[in-house]
Amino acid sequence: MTRFQKAIQLLLNYSTVVLFLVVLVTFGLLSPKFLTLGNITNILIQSSSLTILAIGMTFVLLTAGIDLSVGSIMFVVGVISGKLVVIGLPIWWAIPLVLVIGLLFGLVNAFFIFKLKIVPFIVTLATFYVGRGLGLYISETRAINLPESFLQIGSSKLLGLPMPIVILLLVLIIGHFVLSSTQFGRQVYAVGNDMAKARKAGVPVKKILLTVYLICGLCAAISSLVALAQLGAVSPTFGYQNEFMAIAAAVLGGTSLFGGKGNILPGTLIGALLIQSIQNGLVIINVNPYIYPVITGTVIFLIVMIDSLRHKSVQKALRTKTTI
Amino acid sequence: MIESTANKLLGKSENTTVYVCVLYYFIMAIFVPGFFTIHNSWNLLFNLLPLLIVAIGQTYVMLGAGIDLSVTSIVAMTSIIGGYCLSDITAFIEPVWLRIVFSLGAMLLTGALIGLINGVSVAKLGMPAFMVTLTTMMLFSGTAIWLTRSQNSYMLPESFVNMPYTSLWFIPLPLLIGLVVVGIAYFLLNNTLYGEWLPSVGMNSKTAAISGVKVQSTTIWSYIICGCCAAVASILYTARLETGSPVMGQHILLDVIGSVVIGGTSLFGGVGKIQWTVIGAVFIIMLDNSLNLMGMSYFLIMIIKGLVILLAAMMNLLKEGKY
Repeated sequence: MTRFQKAIQLLLNYSTVVLFLVVLVTFGLLSPKFLTLGNITNILIQSSSLTILAIGMTFVLLTAGIDLSVGSIMFVVGVISGKLVVIGLPIWWAIPLVLVIGLLFGLVNAFFIFKLKIVPFIVTLATFYVGRGLGLYISETRAINLPESFLQIGSSKLLGLPMPIVILLLVLIIGHFVLSSTQFGRQVYAVGNDMAKARKAGVPVKKILLTVYLICGLCAAISSLVALAQLGAVSPTFGYQNEFMAIAAAVLGGTSLFGGKGNILPGTLIGALLIQSIQNGLVIINVNPYIYPVITGTVIFLIVMIDSLRHKSVQKALRTKTTI
Repeated sequence: MIESTANKLLGKSENTTVYVCVLYYFIMAIFVPGFFTIHNSWNLLFNLLPLLIVAIGQTYVMLGAGIDLSVTSIVAMTSIIGGYCLSDITAFIEPVWLRIVFSLGAMLLTGALIGLINGVSVAKLGMPAFMVTLTTMMLFSGTAIWLTRSQNSYMLPESFVNMPYTSLWFIPLPLLIGLVVVGIAYFLLNNTLYGEWLPSVGMNSKTAAISGVKVQSTTIWSYIICGCCAAVASILYTARLETGSPVMGQHILLDVIGSVVIGGTSLFGGVGKIQWTVIGAVFIIMLDNSLNLMGMSYFLIMIIKGLVILLAAMMNLLKEGKY
């Protein structure tokens, strides 16, 4: 292999990181405001909700499942917590209550998937619509304005760090630890790699599936609260299509849709930060808002394409090696 | 005799779905006022046709073990292309029918082109179908809204707007289009080599490749067919609503996937039939229409549809003896 080929291989191997840097440098050159400490903190705060959602999604994707209902869980959680707080329940009572709702959604998903053996795609598509319908029903399709106390939590600081970043770091560290250093984490990968073999090897497949959907539901609920603390209102489109963004973030971070491959740190974090930096950068350089989805879509498409080309070239390399 | 031909036509296993469908129709006809009227029957039919056509395209993609989430954006994109081509810009083209033919051609071409992009990305570049069509959905629905600045285009030519109400040989034109699409789709799947190749690719692409199936082009064509079907549906929607709209068809994704799945087509490829999808689409539309007539709100209908899809998936597993 020549030095040039090696360099190309290296670039391809770290394609997401490279593209992330390219995005940062491009926006940095286009606007001096982009790479300031203030704006970077801003990107971290804005991405906290998406990253937490994507962390939950990573667990599910690792078992070769998918959860399309997370956006709806966010919406239901938002609507119910809004209603509860508006009728006068203290926030510290409402928060545990809505986290339980997130868990319940996860439980329902898991029940249909491992007890009734329906494919995750169909189950979570159904709960996606049920959840959104429920949320619209409870909110009567009106926006709910949250009291000031909610926003205060969002802008409060702990040890000098903004609250959303603290929560993000907590979820990130716990998620990474669980996935990389516990028996449960290794079993998640085993189930995703080959469910039948994992079962034969004595992995409690049902328990693993149940747990990952519970984790995903819980993460969706936390993500909803983090987003609410920044927005201060629940609109009827709150959380809409967030499931796609979360899946995109996880996949950009190198998590496979077919299970068994991927990680939270650095993978999913980089993926989510990449998406958020593009959106933040587009706002800062003052692009026509109509183009946002077009550019975001194109970038995600390109990264997924580079990733599959890389796999192809890896396969080819392996093949030539075995023939030689 | 009638039963045996019906069995032959539909295949044995999906009889239950047909019975459920017929039973549901009669129950609704008896208990829901306004369901069993001529006006509502036309309504059912006109709602059914575009959904059915999109669902047939989706069936092709799913037979090849793919999925196309971008169908709604194809409907939107072709709708604004159609609206653009039919507006005053092409008024210099005389006579009017030439203008309409040109515009419909442009719409079909757009659908085929987006299908081609999906297909090439999946088959040649080896990208996961879910991610490809997810990003093309974002991309093209974004492009449609961007190009039009979320404005609808009205002022379509009279003869195009009147299309849903004209008849040819006493058959309303939309129904004729629907029948032709179903006919072609059925013929292609049951009487051609392609129809044998596609399920074999969906079942196991490696064995298919070894047996001499052109796996890549088979997959690409399934996405092109899906894109064209979405474009035809878009023509029907655009004519009926008399506008080219960038958010056309945004809410039909559940109905499309629901129709295919309720019919019994497998998400993992290789198993599926056009007639199954027809039944699935009929059921979804009947459900929607009857719940509407019962005065249920949009949200409740959403919840019920979600549950019905779960139930149908369970029934399919039950039939296959998976429990």
